[in-house]
Formats: sequence, C-alpha cells, structure tokens
Amino acid sequence: MMDSEKIFLLFLIVFVSISLLIVAGIVTSLIINSYPIFLRDGFSFIFKSVWNPVKEDYGILPALLGTLISSAIAISIAMPLAISLAIFSAEIAPTSVRGFINSVSDLMASLPSVIYGLWGLYVLAPILNQYIMTPLHQYLGFIPLFSTKPIPTNLFTAGVLLAIMITPFSSSIIREAYNAIPHHLKEAAYSLGMTRWEVIRTLLGYIKSAILAGAFLALGRAMGETVAVAMVVGNTFTLPRSLFDMGYTISSLIANQFPNAEAYSYMMPALYSGALVLFTIGLIINLAGLYWIRRVVTRG
Amino acid sequence: MYTKYIIVIAAVVIVALVSAFMLSYLWMPTGGIGSRGSATTTLTTTSPATRVTTTLSGVVNGAGATFLNPQMQAWASKFYELTGGRIQVNYQSIGSGAGQAKFREGVLDFAGSDPPLKSDIYNEFKAKGGIIQFPVIIGTIVIVYNIPGVESGKLRLTGEVVAKIYLGEISYWDDPAIKALNPDLNLPHEKIIAVHRSDGSGTTRVFTAYLSKVSEAWKSKVGSDFTVSWPVDELGNGVGGKGNEGVSAAVKQNPYSIGYVETAYAYSTSLAIALIMNRDGNYVLPTKEAVASAAKALVKVLPKADEDWSNIFPDQTVDPPGKESYPITSFSFVILRQVYDDPVKVAILKEFFEWVLTDGQRPENIVEGYDPLPPEVAVIGLDGLKLLRTG
Repeated sequence: MMDSEKIFLLFLIVFVSISLLIVAGIVTSLIINSYPIFLRDGFSFIFKSVWNPVKEDYGILPALLGTLISSAIAISIAMPLAISLAIFSAEIAPTSVRGFINSVSDLMASLPSVIYGLWGLYVLAPILNQYIMTPLHQYLGFIPLFSTKPIPTNLFTAGVLLAIMITPFSSSIIREAYNAIPHHLKEAAYSLGMTRWEVIRTLLGYIKSAILAGAFLALGRAMGETVAVAMVVGNTFTLPRSLFDMGYTISSLIANQFPNAEAYSYMMPALYSGALVLFTIGLIINLAGLYWIRRVVTRG
Repeated sequence: MYTKYIIVIAAVVIVALVSAFMLSYLWMPTGGIGSRGSATTTLTTTSPATRVTTTLSGVVNGAGATFLNPQMQAWASKFYELTGGRIQVNYQSIGSGAGQAKFREGVLDFAGSDPPLKSDIYNEFKAKGGIIQFPVIIGTIVIVYNIPGVESGKLRLTGEVVAKIYLGEISYWDDPAIKALNPDLNLPHEKIIAVHRSDGSGTTRVFTAYLSKVSEAWKSKVGSDFTVSWPVDELGNGVGGKGNEGVSAAVKQNPYSIGYVETAYAYSTSLAIALIMNRDGNYVLPTKEAVASAAKALVKVLPKADEDWSNIFPDQTVDPPGKESYPITSFSFVILRQVYDDPVKVAILKEFFEWVLTDGQRPENIVEGYDPLPPEVAVIGLDGLKLLRTG
C-alpha cells in the first residue's frame, strides 16, 4: 500500500508536468508556425512598418510600439488607483462598506472584456475625447505627446480603458497582501505614535513586493488584452507620433486579421510571429519583474 | 483521509472530460454529431424544390462567412421548422477564410464565403472530384457619411472621388471635385476622416474591388483584398473600425467622416447614405430595385457553379451596367463538394439549398439588410446542385 503522501506527490507531479507541457507546446507551435516569415524576412519583420496583404508584405513595428505605449499608459494610470482603492478598502472604509467595495471591484475584474470594449467604444471614447483629449490638445498641443488632433478612438483611449480593466485586478492583489500583514506590526507602528498616514506608508513599504507583483501581472494582462483594445485603439497601421494617434496593438492585430489570414500564404506566419514577439516581451518583463521584486525584498 | 484527494481528482477528471468533449465538438470530424442521425435514415426521392415534403432526417454542418451568418441562421431555423425538426443545418460564423480552410480539410459539409475560392484551391478541388460554388444572397455596401447639416441621401459621390478620399488625395469636404458634384450643398472646409474596416473582411474586398475598377490610381497603388494598406492612414486621416459595428460607430462619433458598411448597419444606426454615380452616369441609392437591377445586369458575366469564379467575382461584378443599377453589390457564396460519401448527406444538402434558392428568397425569409437573388442568378446554384453525387 502506498501511503497518502506518495500518492499526493505523484498527482502533483503529473498535473504540474501537464501545465508545463502545455506551455512548452504553445511555445513550440508559435515557433513552428512563425518560422516561414522569419525564413523569408529575417528579423527585419519586427522592425518594419507595413501591413500589406496584397503584396504579402508584413512588419509589426507599429503594433509593437502601440502595445508598449497603451500598456504604459494603462499601468501608470492604474497603479495609483489600485493602491488607493486597496488602502481605502482595507484601512479606511467602514466594515459595512468594505464588503460592498470589494465585491464590486471583484465583479469588475471578472467582467468579460468584450463588455469593456463596447462600453469603451460607445461611452468612454466620446467622453474622453470631449472632456480630456480635446482640451489637452487645445491648450497643451505644443507638447509632442498631445500634438495630434484627437479623434475618439486612439492609443490614449485604449490605455485608459485598459487602466480601468486592470485596476480592480491589481487592487485585489495589493489588498490581500495588505490584509495579510501581521496585526502586531500595525499595532507596534501606532504605539510608536505614528499618524495614520505614516502607518499606511510604512506598511506599504512592507508589501512593496506584492505591489510590484500586482503591477507586473496587470501589465501582462494589459499587453495581452485583445477584444476590448481592438474596439477602441483606432486600428491604423502607422507609427504613432503622439499619445492621441490611432494605433494598433499586437493582440488587436491578431484579433482583427486572424479570421481571414488563411487566405494568404504569409499572414498566418506573420500573426504567429507577432504572438511570439508578444510572448517574448511578456517573458522578459516578468523575468525583470521577478528580479526586481527579489532585489526589493532582500534589501528589505 | 483519502476522500479529500479523491474528490479533487474526480473533479479534475470531470473538468478534463467536459473540456475534451467541448474541444472535440469544435474540431468535429466530417459529420461528427450529424452522422449519428443520418445513419438510421431512410432515403426517399427528393421532392420538388418549391415544397418541403421530405422524409429525410439528419444534420449537416457548415461554417464560414460572418456576413452570411444571420441569414443562414434564419434559413436553417425556418427549414428545421418546415421539415418538422428532421433536418438540422448547423452554421458557425468563423470567417470566410477559416471556413474555406476548414472545408478544405474536410471538416465541414459546406462552407459559406464572401469571396469564391481562389484559382489554385479551385483547381485542387477540381482534381479531387470537383466543387460547386454559387451565390445565395446579395449584400450591398453603402457609403455612409457624417457631415453636420447634410442629410441622408443628399451627398453625391462618384467612385473616383471616393477612391481619391481613401488615397488621401482629397482631404477636405469643400474640395472642388466634391463641390462640382454637389453644387447645391454647403460643404464645410473640414478635414475628411476616412473610416475603413480594420479586420480582414469580404466587405473590404468588394469595396476595394470597386475602387480598383473605377480608379486606375487605386488599382496600381493599393489593389483589392480582405485588408489593404490604406494610403489615407499615412496622413493620419484614416480610422480603422473592427467589424461593421466598429465602422458605423466611428462614423457616428467623428463629425466630417466617411465610411463603408453593409446596408443593415447603415439603417440600424441611421447613418446618412450617399448617392453613388453608377456606370450609366446616374446617381443611385441602394434601394431594392437598384440592387436587383445590378444583379440582373450581371447574369451575362457570371460563370456556372462548377467553374472558377475567382477572376469574375468581385472584380468583374462591381460597377455593373444598367440605368438603375447600384454599383457596389456583393454576393455571398456557398461552397459544396460534388462528391460526398453519404447519400443522405447529398440528399439533405440538395434539399436545403434548393429551398434556399427558391422559397428561401421570398421576402418573408430574407433577413433585413440582405437582398434576395433574382431568379436569373438563383438558377446558377439550382443547376449546380444537380451535380452533387455519392461516391
């Protein structure tokens, strides 16, 4: 008779290897399927700005830049919001409100992205255009960031929509970490005579790694978001010159072009290699994040 | 002690089984669920096309063009009713390209597609027993605009001017070329925002085929395809919308914009529709009569169902002659193999598509936004269906 410890371990190993196999399978199929375009164009494919199926000429630079810009906007708007929301619900809100805030925020995190997309297209984009982007362009248009006359769907709108989508997600990670802080630390801080603000600041320092983890997970989600972004990003294949320029992201490019890609010889490989590039960037960012978190943690 | 693990393991196994079942449904082999139904059926003679008196039963599976989807679902459910639930036609809206590819792999009984098969694929099929492809419905592409103060049906455009707008050669609404067509309108000095589809689409394929036909410059610089490289984007005046809904939303939200959508979307979002000059020099709106006139004018150029359509549609079918003809009409196709293993399947496909091409074209069976085929065009499919056989 095998003892329960061994059975448990056996199942763990089986299930872990299944998930590892799936990841390996994805990477392998990405590489195999994108191989033809690298064979034809080499790495120039990543640094070209053209999407011309008529001539079977593809390059994903605009989509790559669009991905980075829109996720950068998203993360810089989302993090302050997420941290504030987490602190408010964990520290400041009365217990009766707390549950309500948390469940609303969790609900937001689990809404299907197509709903965000439609809401972004029909509600958010016109509002942003009228009250934020147009005034910014009018009064601060001399700054290159705001130099394009905005139309409702563009990289900025995509960034803001992404921020709204990822805020509840990273906020719940931060909130859980904050709630997990041993109570005696908080009490010790108060007993030293710290004000509420000073206590919160100290405790935030204590969960720095969780905040960073929340940021990196949210960033990964923002870069991979597909449908919602495809609806509001403008979808024009040109190099962005300002935040208000229309653009593309790799995921939205795939969402847009995949259904008819099989009608061409090289579009499928082009889209697969876009996915491979996205995967690689995600990997790099996550590794950098892990390294950073470890440094922050060890420094204390 | 063990119970906890056993429950966890059982749950995992159940989840795995359910997902395996769902995956297998997605990659359904030919017939899949359907063949189970057809194995026990009795085959009787096919009935006249105008009545559905079949005693056949079974399931056929198709997939493809998203544009065709609402109409195909309407046909399928009506036919299911008419046959008393004996014949079920499944259609998955996965896009024309994917539909053709899956059909080629032999996973589907039929494909729905906006464009017909390309030459090389047509020849590949021809060598393996042959295919038929025929139009089942007409879709019309309308030019929509959003110019505050200019009502629907007032703005006149020619294909050449539209081409120049999307080429970026005409950038303002008060350009002399547009003013010359619209002497009565007070057109503003505002930049034209040119909206186009961002996803690969049969709509773009037909629209750009039209632009290629009426403008040499468009033909040489851009060409026609599911997705093209839009010159107007380079100037920062182009916007891509995902799907018909994305384009209509973009036109609606951007004053001084222009776009192209399938008729249904123009009406449902009450966008202003432009008059387009046809080949005979008349300005026409996409009315039922104008579309029917265009389809009738095409009868002479359309090939037979078992022939290669790739050079004809849409490049030869846009901008047809005729005083009333609307210039940008499009067909949606159904593609069938000529030879199937299962005699029941052959009978069902014949029965269903004969109905689609006859009674299915009556106004009560046509979904809003589509136009029925005139009998002269429907007959192409009816003749083609005679070629279906068991082998």
